[in-house]
Amino acid sequence: MSTPDPQSDALTGEDTPRGLRRWSRRPTAGSPAAAARVRRRSKQRRRVANVAGLMAALVLTGTLYSALAPSQATAQTNTTESSAEAAGRELYERSCITCHGENLEGVPTRGPSLIGVGEAAVYFQVHTGRMPLVRQEAQAPDKPAIFSDEEIDQLMAYVQANGGGPTLPSGDLRDGDLAEGGELFRLNCASCHNFVGEGGALSSGKRAPSLDDANDLEIYTAMLSGPENMPVFGDNQLTPEEKRSIINYVQTVKGQADPGGAGVGRLGPAAEGLVIWVVGVAALMFGIFWMGSKA
Amino acid sequence: MSTRESAPGSTGGADVPGPLHGGPDDDYTPEQLAALTREELDLLGARYDSVQVLHVDPGPEPGSAVEKQAVRQVALTFALAGLTAFAAFVVYVGSGWFLPDWQWDITDSGWSALFTPLIGALGGLALTLVGVGLVLYTKKLLPHETAVQDKHDGSHFDRVTTGATLVGGLHNSGLARRKLITRSLVFMGSGIGLMLVMPLGGLIRNPNTGDPLGTTSWAEGVRLVRDDGSPIRPGDQVPGSLETVFPAVPGGNRQADAATMLIRLRPEQLSVERPRNGQEDFGYGDYVAYSKICTHAGCPVSLYEQETSRILCPCHQSQFDVTQGAKAVFGPATRPLPQLPITVDDEGFFVARSDYIEAVGPTYWNRERI
Amino acid sequence: MARTATAPGVPTTALGKAALEVDDRLIVAGPLRRTLNKVFPDHWSFLLGEIALYAFVILLLSGTYLTFFYDASLREVVYEGTYAPLRGLEMSAAYDSALNLSFDVRGGLFMRQVHHWAALLFVAAIVVHLLRIFFTGAFRRPRETNWLIGVGLLLLALGEGFTGYSLPDDLLSGTGLRIASAIILSIPVVGTWVHWAVFNGDYVGEYIIGRFYIAHVLIIPAILLGLIAVHLLILVKQKHTQFPGPGRTEHNVVGNRLFPAFAAKASGLFFIVFGVVAALGGLVQINPVWLWGPYNPAQVSAASQPDWYIMFLDGSTRLFPAWDINLPGDYTIPALFWPTVVIAGLIFTVLALYPMIERKLTRDTASHHLLQRPRDVPVRTSLGVMALTFYVVLMLSGANDVIAERFDISLNAMTWAGRIGVLILPPIAYVMTYRICLGLQKHDREVLEHGLETGVIRRLPHGEFIEVHQPLGPVDEHGHSQLAYGGAPVPKRMNQVGGARRAIRGFFKPIEEPAQVELEQRRDEHGLAAAESRELTTSGRPSDGGRPQEPRD
Repeated sequence: MSTPDPQSDALTGEDTPRGLRRWSRRPTAGSPAAAARVRRRSKQRRRVANVAGLMAALVLTGTLYSALAPSQATAQTNTTESSAEAAGRELYERSCITCHGENLEGVPTRGPSLIGVGEAAVYFQVHTGRMPLVRQEAQAPDKPAIFSDEEIDQLMAYVQANGGGPTLPSGDLRDGDLAEGGELFRLNCASCHNFVGEGGALSSGKRAPSLDDANDLEIYTAMLSGPENMPVFGDNQLTPEEKRSIINYVQTVKGQADPGGAGVGRLGPAAEGLVIWVVGVAALMFGIFWMGSKA
Repeated sequence: MSTRESAPGSTGGADVPGPLHGGPDDDYTPEQLAALTREELDLLGARYDSVQVLHVDPGPEPGSAVEKQAVRQVALTFALAGLTAFAAFVVYVGSGWFLPDWQWDITDSGWSALFTPLIGALGGLALTLVGVGLVLYTKKLLPHETAVQDKHDGSHFDRVTTGATLVGGLHNSGLARRKLITRSLVFMGSGIGLMLVMPLGGLIRNPNTGDPLGTTSWAEGVRLVRDDGSPIRPGDQVPGSLETVFPAVPGGNRQADAATMLIRLRPEQLSVERPRNGQEDFGYGDYVAYSKICTHAGCPVSLYEQETSRILCPCHQSQFDVTQGAKAVFGPATRPLPQLPITVDDEGFFVARSDYIEAVGPTYWNRERI
Repeated sequence: MARTATAPGVPTTALGKAALEVDDRLIVAGPLRRTLNKVFPDHWSFLLGEIALYAFVILLLSGTYLTFFYDASLREVVYEGTYAPLRGLEMSAAYDSALNLSFDVRGGLFMRQVHHWAALLFVAAIVVHLLRIFFTGAFRRPRETNWLIGVGLLLLALGEGFTGYSLPDDLLSGTGLRIASAIILSIPVVGTWVHWAVFNGDYVGEYIIGRFYIAHVLIIPAILLGLIAVHLLILVKQKHTQFPGPGRTEHNVVGNRLFPAFAAKASGLFFIVFGVVAALGGLVQINPVWLWGPYNPAQVSAASQPDWYIMFLDGSTRLFPAWDINLPGDYTIPALFWPTVVIAGLIFTVLALYPMIERKLTRDTASHHLLQRPRDVPVRTSLGVMALTFYVVLMLSGANDVIAERFDISLNAMTWAGRIGVLILPPIAYVMTYRICLGLQKHDREVLEHGLETGVIRRLPHGEFIEVHQPLGPVDEHGHSQLAYGGAPVPKRMNQVGGARRAIRGFFKPIEEPAQVELEQRRDEHGLAAAESRELTTSGRPSDGGRPQEPRD
């Protein structure tokens, strides 16, 4: 089996054979964390992932063709639309048009314009299940994605072709310096997402989500597109290398063991306070009840 | 009475105890004590300590099934404690020798990640079992006695006699009459006291010299740089972004009061922006720069919600609105975040136009005066 | 009275001879006997303070170990240790040594975690002990001094905890230190001067970790040790309080002698406390400083909190409205001053002075050695619950962002809920507790007057249904007993008065045969049992104690 196209690899996110590719291209020396991940991954999953990667590669070949071949100026005409874009348009008109309007221009009070958000935003919003929205709330909750990876590709192709904007990155998204990533994470991200990405509360019912379930590409596209209240981190502010460092840090720390025992959510003093009362004091109270009893 | 000095076990140093000596040794001769059983001696001593043993439940009958079971239980507990303690020892010493290495690194989720939990589980279990064994022993095998000890309030005799001694001594010193000595003592006491706390004066330093609380390293022409020292152009950030910037001076990114947020507003934010009076020109284009140090308790703010334009402080949840000159709109903070006046220098990089025009960080007593 | 070489009392065994040698020099036999004979009341709630004491011992032991590796310095170093995600970063020597202690010292992480858990337990045990003392009235004359010392110990424990929390110089503790600095600055008039004295200048400077270290390992522990010694000496001198019950008076203590029963139990408790702390220290990760990262004044994380015992101050700070007070002459009293310095000062002043306040209000200046049941002092109990409610609301508000995040509640709503809750919940708690106390009192009186509910329903000839009550004493012509309430638990079930079979003994599982119990009971009914002795052996469990009988003098 051949190594899949790096582009397709990035597209399908966490469940692609990235581990395998990293294994072949960047042996363990550079990144012990990567090696650990590889070891943990079972052969079966790897095989499934390879198939998925191949399929994604096929899909993307079409997408790329359509995205690169036609000129952006005539984006709104249907004459040059590729099959993926057409499928994307169909999906868009079925699920998104109510809020985001015809031709991505947005509907006041319902949904913003999607012109200029790019495929990065589409990937993040749809792959994390935030879009389509079930109802208007303080913040779109993440939930299992409604669209398949193939459908997401089609939607991205449609939005990218018709509105333009930030595109998906390619290559190894964890190809960065671990320590630098940590420093950048604490400077730029931890204030909302907590020390190690456990998430945190924002004003009036909004929240910075936990990064526990986020895959590399979701984190990358989130930084790139600044979904909802998250600030945008453009490529001139955090370079792609820095973004990769941050992702490397987040995913490494997320995956590493807690050498001191149960992590209790890695939440710090609030959880520890709960433990000392509910476990420590309770156990000792039980102990002294027992000691005080006659039998 | 003189035999006492040769009496074995005699505690007295007095060769001839005076008539005031008294005490239990006068009440009981060694012969009388020798005639008593151990139990009787125990109870006798207790009586001298105002303790009366009312009832003794002797515990299980020697040789009975109940006793045997209890003994087995206690012994098993202690044995298990020993076993787990030895196991903890083996884990501690053996790791890296005949067991896998104890030293953890992030790629490992095997033995080394289990080293501390194992030590804790085994060691904790061992210690708990020791405690459980001791309690079981007490509860199941020791006699249960019920004792009563008398409580004495203070003795009138003691109070009167002690008082007499104290007052007598004081009276004999004649301090009450010799006023000159009393006064000199008071004077001496205050002087010596001051002299003794005097060295603490080394801790006192003047917080108002040079106005360290009211100034930062920002000054006219100082560039805004990122954590890594790189300068910033207006084109670098996209609308809706925030970057933490520092003054381009040595060690600027480690200074406690210099951290600043450079925010590029979105067009929608710009259209509703109402800067503070007199600070309308502090921004540059759609860029504004605010101090990152919360005006409440000094935490770095920067939970920036670009849609609601709010900046939240994670420590006490103060919320500031960047479109209203970073006014405090919720929570315990009172003052807006100070705004840094910025512009662009000849090379197209952001620079400060001056220092902050007010003190950054938490409020203090004479903040408005400096 | 001449003596010979074989005079009675000459020790014959080696041990006896050795003991004689010792006593010839130190004269300890008398004091030792008095100590061994000291009687301790046997009730579980008297062990709470011991838990705090043992936690302190663990803190001393584990803390000493930590000092072998810790470097209290803010000197900048580059981390080159085992933990890859921080390798190559600049950090303070303090943080660097905390990391090395965690990853490069065998068992160092375990010791660090044991120390931190013991610290949390230390304060928790002090608080529970304090609640016991408060709600049973054990602080009343003559024990006001020990109450004051106890409050002092609690304050010192908080100071010890905060200074220790700050030592690793990680991003979490640094944020805490930043807030402490702001709190000091907020003190009117002298704030900046105090700050300059504590930090040796502006925040953060290079001195603070070294100063906190010496406070944490020398100054505060020394005072703690001294005060604990005085606390215990006074306790020994004044002897224990006890709950009212048969044979228990204001002038005696009923229980076990120190040796051997109490000593064995107490050492058992020490090992159990040590075991629980050690298990927590290995099994539950606490303060993983490597995840927090080195302190940097420009960085912060969501959900930055102090340890639980300081959380109430963080909570009050979060809830307090934005009220700076501007005085003439451009002076300001910062809003931060009120919820931190003032509220903490008020809480601890009221706490410390409570015995005097209560004495003033009740005009009860007598000495008390018998404890009160909380229900019998409804005002004090309600005040206590009210204060506790206030405290808990503040403490929960100190974690309101974590609660908001975990349970998907609006953060602003949490703040408002705290602001309203801290004002209205305490009075509600007061009223509810008061009603509950009165209800319980009334029920006690009712049982004493009418007897126990037997559960037997009888139909009278004219058709009325009545429940048969078992009187607890002789009754008058109306069927009412004239038993007075003695401050001890009143039996509420038939098996507590021998009317039904008494409860089978056994804490985890029954250890008696029901048939045997029945036999024993029948024997009792025939007047074979020594009533007095059995009554005196009331256990600590409330359900066992206090048969309806007047305390004897």
